Amino acid sequence: MEDYNEFQEEEFSTKFNGRTILRILGQLKPHWPWVLGFLVAITLVSGLDSYFTYLNKRIIDEGVAQRDIGVVFELMKPYAALLFVQAAAVFAFIWLTGVLGERVRYDLRKKMFEHLQNLSLSYYNRTPVGWIISRVTSDSDRVAELVTWGMLDTTWGIMNIITATYFMMIINWKLALIVFACIPVLVVVASWFQKRIIKEYREVRKINSRITGAYNENITGVRVVKSLGREVANLREFSGTTGEMYRAGFRAAWLSALFLPVVQVITAVSLGSIIWYGGIQTEFGGMTLGGIQAFIAYMTFMLFPIQEMARVYAELQHAIASAERIFSMVDAVPTVVDLPAARDPGSIRGDIVFENVRFAYDDAPDEAVLADFNLHVKQGENIALVGPTGGGKSTIVNLICRFFEPTQGRILIGGTDYKEFTLHGIQSRIGVVLQTPHLFSGTIRENIRYGRLDASDAEVEEAAKLAGAHRFIEELDGGYNGQVGEGGNLLSVGQKQLISLARAVLANPEFFVMDEATSSVDTLTEALIQQGMETMMKDRTSFIIAHRLSTIKRADRILVIEGGKIAEMGSHSELMRQKGHYYNLYTQQFREELAGKQDPFLLNRPAAAGN
Amino acid sequence: MVEQKNSEIIDLKKVVSQKRLKAFFGLLQGNYGAYAMATFSLAVSAICRSAVYLLLAYFVDDVLGTPNFSRQVPLVALGFLGLALVQGIFTYASGTLSGRTGERVAQRLRNFLYDQLQRLSFSFHDRHKTGELIQKVTSDVDAVRRFIAQESIEFGRIISLFLVNFGLLLYINSRLAWLSVICVPITVGMSIFFFGRISKAYENFQNQDGVLSSVLQENLSGVRVVKAFARQRYEIDKFEKENWSKYLLGRKLLMWHSVFWPVSDIITGAQMLYGFYLGAQMTIQGILTLGDYIAYVSVLVWLLWPIRNLGRVIVQMSQGLVSFDRVSSIIKEDREPLDEGDYLPAARPRGEIVFENVTFEYEAGQAVLNNVSFRAAPGQTIALLGSTGSGKTSLVSLLPRFYDYTAGRILLDGVELKRYPRRYLRDNIGIVLQEPFLFSRSIRENIRYSVADDIPDSDIEQAARAAAVHDVINTFPKAYETMVGERGVTLSGGQKQRVTLARTLLKNPAILILDDATSSVDTETEAEIRAALKQLMENRTTFLIAHRIQSVMLADLILVFDQGKIVQQGTHEELLAQEGMYRKVFDIQTMIEEEVQREVASATG
Repeated sequence: MEDYNEFQEEEFSTKFNGRTILRILGQLKPHWPWVLGFLVAITLVSGLDSYFTYLNKRIIDEGVAQRDIGVVFELMKPYAALLFVQAAAVFAFIWLTGVLGERVRYDLRKKMFEHLQNLSLSYYNRTPVGWIISRVTSDSDRVAELVTWGMLDTTWGIMNIITATYFMMIINWKLALIVFACIPVLVVVASWFQKRIIKEYREVRKINSRITGAYNENITGVRVVKSLGREVANLREFSGTTGEMYRAGFRAAWLSALFLPVVQVITAVSLGSIIWYGGIQTEFGGMTLGGIQAFIAYMTFMLFPIQEMARVYAELQHAIASAERIFSMVDAVPTVVDLPAARDPGSIRGDIVFENVRFAYDDAPDEAVLADFNLHVKQGENIALVGPTGGGKSTIVNLICRFFEPTQGRILIGGTDYKEFTLHGIQSRIGVVLQTPHLFSGTIRENIRYGRLDASDAEVEEAAKLAGAHRFIEELDGGYNGQVGEGGNLLSVGQKQLISLARAVLANPEFFVMDEATSSVDTLTEALIQQGMETMMKDRTSFIIAHRLSTIKRADRILVIEGGKIAEMGSHSELMRQKGHYYNLYTQQFREELAGKQDPFLLNRPAAAGN
Repeated sequence: MVEQKNSEIIDLKKVVSQKRLKAFFGLLQGNYGAYAMATFSLAVSAICRSAVYLLLAYFVDDVLGTPNFSRQVPLVALGFLGLALVQGIFTYASGTLSGRTGERVAQRLRNFLYDQLQRLSFSFHDRHKTGELIQKVTSDVDAVRRFIAQESIEFGRIISLFLVNFGLLLYINSRLAWLSVICVPITVGMSIFFFGRISKAYENFQNQDGVLSSVLQENLSGVRVVKAFARQRYEIDKFEKENWSKYLLGRKLLMWHSVFWPVSDIITGAQMLYGFYLGAQMTIQGILTLGDYIAYVSVLVWLLWPIRNLGRVIVQMSQGLVSFDRVSSIIKEDREPLDEGDYLPAARPRGEIVFENVTFEYEAGQAVLNNVSFRAAPGQTIALLGSTGSGKTSLVSLLPRFYDYTAGRILLDGVELKRYPRRYLRDNIGIVLQEPFLFSRSIRENIRYSVADDIPDSDIEQAARAAAVHDVINTFPKAYETMVGERGVTLSGGQKQRVTLARTLLKNPAILILDDATSSVDTETEAEIRAALKQLMENRTTFLIAHRIQSVMLADLILVFDQGKIVQQGTHEELLAQEGMYRKVFDIQTMIEEEVQREVASATG
């Protein structure tokens, strides 16, 4: 829908940016023979069109007028032969241009996608997914359209004008000059119209996105609309918007409807002049009948490109804006990259140390999400992070995984600043289970295998067993080959979590990070998840953003994170004795968990388990 | 003026319920004259264009070389100009009239659909996905507009160019005319065949586009997983596979185009050459004049070339009809009759509500509410306690007649609910939902959403004060003019909830429904909301849906729900005195406190 277009939908510049155009043309470089091919083909098509008209003139003047059917026949022979040549050229230009267009689209998408894989998480945090998708889909379409059909149209138009000029000059240069006199007038008129038509279309698009927004709100808020009885006022407001749409749409249609006839009348003026002047000339034998007929045809030739000028120009503008957006994305530099001397650590076992770490997002450098953060985690230690939302727990985890890097300070793994290691070297050794587990559409087996691509089926199932996922998978339709749906939406949250645990188990990481789900999961699944977590935490350093008491209590050390700082730290009983933040958090959580477990409404029902 | 005429409401439902072509034609209602005129203008401009060639023939045969030549030439030149002017005027008329018709029909469709959507029943909205509906009301409506303003007109243009030019050929020489259109059936047949294929190939191409988009979408929303497992290479390969396959499908689509156009070029070219030759022969034999021959050559071009586009236009038109069908599927749905009902009191209801053995099922055979009976006196607070899915929300949805109960009776002030117009009920019932919904407009407009626009600002602010949100609003730079939603500030859940409370306060309903209104709010704002709610509940019959005992304790009547049935009802004290669900819930909460103390003791001990 339109809503994501709100994000940085830069008003495209009406000025031409030469650099951007060059860069757009650069997309064609690897395929230059194709470009050459379609340019030659279209030149041939246009040239032959002009030549056919010239042949017609000769048929009239030398054959029909002279009453000599032999000449007519002779002239038709090359005509017929060239028809086939032209058909071949038509085939060539459609094929070459079209395939090249697809190819450029393919290249652009590929380039963008690969670049996207390397961009850092911070880019994704500030860029809506919908925005990126429009760049990869519709913007790449527009650019490809420009460098192929746009270029073809332009070449065709220019060639039409050139070849028509050439033949008109051959036939009668004086009359040709009359025709040329009207070209500047046509261009001026065309650009007058074009400016206005483009403006109206822009208006139409703007109103259209408002209309879509209004529909969207009306549908998603329909319950509120009905309960507040707002229907009449809503319709009145909406009619105002559609009224604006009507006016803008009609103005656009009106201008387009006017444009064509105006151009035709201007042409007719020059045609009239030719008849007038040419008629007098004919009396003196200067202009033949065929010549007049040919002139009419040539003028139509030259008219097409001028009529199309506005459209091509508007598309050019659009495509340039699209290209600018594409380039802005391709030029975005990943903030987290390998240093030149980065090496594979071989192993990331060892103590993890935060040294005076500070972190702030790029767009708000003064608001530290984490400040003066110091922490020493021993190899094999299990850390539980607790605290309010927005306190900085996720930031700590993102820093350890090196999705972000500290703005100040260092993070050491086994005594070495982790920036000396490669990203791949670190991340391929960390197992992560997210709060809202993301699965990819495909089978369960494929999703688990995501953890280690060369794992055998037996290894996949072994991992599922360790994670406690095996049993429910077996019970599903299709078992391991069952589909999970888009984003895994055919499964419950608990099931998704189990599969993402199995995925992490299969990867056999040296370090484990998990963000526990807050949403309630039925008791059985809950127990399975706990079992899976236990497997992962054994002999591994782990960081768990914990929401469940059992998880919290199992940790070697509990960190209460508030306002980007460690508010309290220690074991469960130590922290309980302090009667501080942790004490409050814990008792509150305890109440809720008990209430959930003891809810008589749920206990009443045997099959109440689940979502 | 135009808008006024346009905004007259016609019942599109009646229109689209007819047979398809008739229905489609019905859409044009009120624009028949303009559309007929557009078609007529099209024909006139085609005639003018061809007349140019007749004038040319006249010029060649009867002017050139005659004694009054130099006097005639300017007249002929003016004739050309005149024809061009007339042609221009009619082309313009046709374009502008058809454009206007298309825009008008589209506007009418948009308005009707918008109103339709907000007046269709809840069950319609339960069944349909937002994305699909939006698709239908935006792009399908646009396709219908194009059908009217462009495609039908293009079709008409091709047909009238053909008819006029063919008529002209018949006038020049009938034998030549017939011999000049030999290829027409072939071209038309071929173009329909090809474009059928092309549209199929295009569909495959589009489907692959969808596949590619979802791979992209999934990759982007799962970017953390991709990074966490360092699976960039794998993802790139996956995308590459679909990307390449789209490229191949695109090539296939192009193959059809690249074959169709040159082949039809050759057929048309051959026909033209044949025509030129025949014409030349007839001229030399003296059957045709030289002028006729010249006119013939030009007319032939205008006869043959447009025909090649017929297949494309026909396919486009059939796609336009598919869009039309999709749009009509929404229009055909029945609206909720807001004003239907034979009992419309002038005053607001007192608020006495009686349920007598009420049963309600969304789908036949699956009762969501089963034989529910209770009585609420005016001004009382009725609390509904129970787990998710036990029927509490369904029960309160019956009061504004969002749904109609299937059996039993509900009485409002002693009169059966079904006799009241829905509008009356909704005007007098205020609902605060668990998930507060605000519209993307200013806070002020949101608060006065359900009342007249001319309400004084002081009333709005008073409502905001009562809802404990006035001070928060004033901390925003634009205060009450602050925009809410995507383009404006992000309000917290509690702030949003209080704005909806202010909105409900201003509406001043006689009956109030609070559907779990505090559950998504954090503890700090909960107290403020509670205070606001208390004020809102005064002197109104209130239905309160809640999960916790604390929230329902003070109610005049507590209904305990389980699986669609009322298992207990009474006041807090009465229910505590009985064996049953309510006491269990209460006991558990007491038990939990004891547990907490024990747990704390064990951890600290």
